[in-house]
Amino acid sequence: MTSWLGSTDDGTGGSRAVHLPLGREAYQATHERQLRLHALRVQGAIPDTVLSVEHDPVFTIGRRGSRENLLVPPDTLRREGIAVYDVERGGDITYHGPGQVVLYPIIDLRGHGRDLARYVRNLEQTVIDFLAAVEVTAQRRPGLPGVWVGERKIAAVGVHVKRWVTLHGLALNVRVNPEHFAMINPCGLRIEVVSLDDLVLRRYSLDEVVSGLLGAMSPLFGWRIIDQVEAEPLGRRP
Amino acid sequence: MAEVRLPDLGETGEVTIVEWFKSEGDAVRVGEELLEVETEKTTFVIEAQQTGRVTRILKPQGDTAHFDDVLARVD
Repeated sequence: MTSWLGSTDDGTGGSRAVHLPLGREAYQATHERQLRLHALRVQGAIPDTVLSVEHDPVFTIGRRGSRENLLVPPDTLRREGIAVYDVERGGDITYHGPGQVVLYPIIDLRGHGRDLARYVRNLEQTVIDFLAAVEVTAQRRPGLPGVWVGERKIAAVGVHVKRWVTLHGLALNVRVNPEHFAMINPCGLRIEVVSLDDLVLRRYSLDEVVSGLLGAMSPLFGWRIIDQVEAEPLGRRP
Repeated sequence: MAEVRLPDLGETGEVTIVEWFKSEGDAVRVGEELLEVETEKTTFVIEAQQTGRVTRILKPQGDTAHFDDVLARVD
């Protein structure tokens, strides 16, 4: 049912956002879905919506990024089954793949202060607050967007905004393949990445991480987040 | 004549011009995408506020800009 479409009033004066869990989905399919939801959000036809997804292995390159930061030849990519896409978000090259939680908030920033820097800070804070809840201390680093544990990067951010509605978002490494990350200079930098599994004894499922991130996100954005279990009406749009 | 200025993007400081979708001399309609800027891993699309012709681009690709800077003129 599409009963959640059209209204953002949760009846308590707060605003409501919808979580659309996609499970595992190829990058391109999720990207097309983001574009459809973006158009609907611009029209005001849906409330703020957050997609959660785990992608098949892919490298994506942002608007000012460069293939020079891709360190392996096409043959290696084919063998490993890794696709490469140019995308409209800010930032350079990044990796998505199994063992990584990606959140794509499709939200109208006119309802959140019309502030790009604040939005990116809130994405980073979402990760920092979630990690604090599992007793991992993470922080920002000046001039290096994303979330870091010491000198190692655990989450990347990259955003595109059109008509004040957001696309793309954040990616948190839970248990990624380090060999895949070693094929690029992440974000165009010679940096090390780290996964949550490297830092805690307990093995958190990706669903637990998604729930934790959404729980951290809600107060930062002033939302009550509702799970959209029935994804079919959006997932199967022509 | 009208000036295209960098809108208020909040606490965001400096932006870099990523790309102009229109060149000098091109016609542009209200709401059409004019250019894209980037700051702190965020790209932002600026649309034309009026219909006319781009007569002058003052901040070409690669330049930096701040709030209220004149980016172009549209006649």
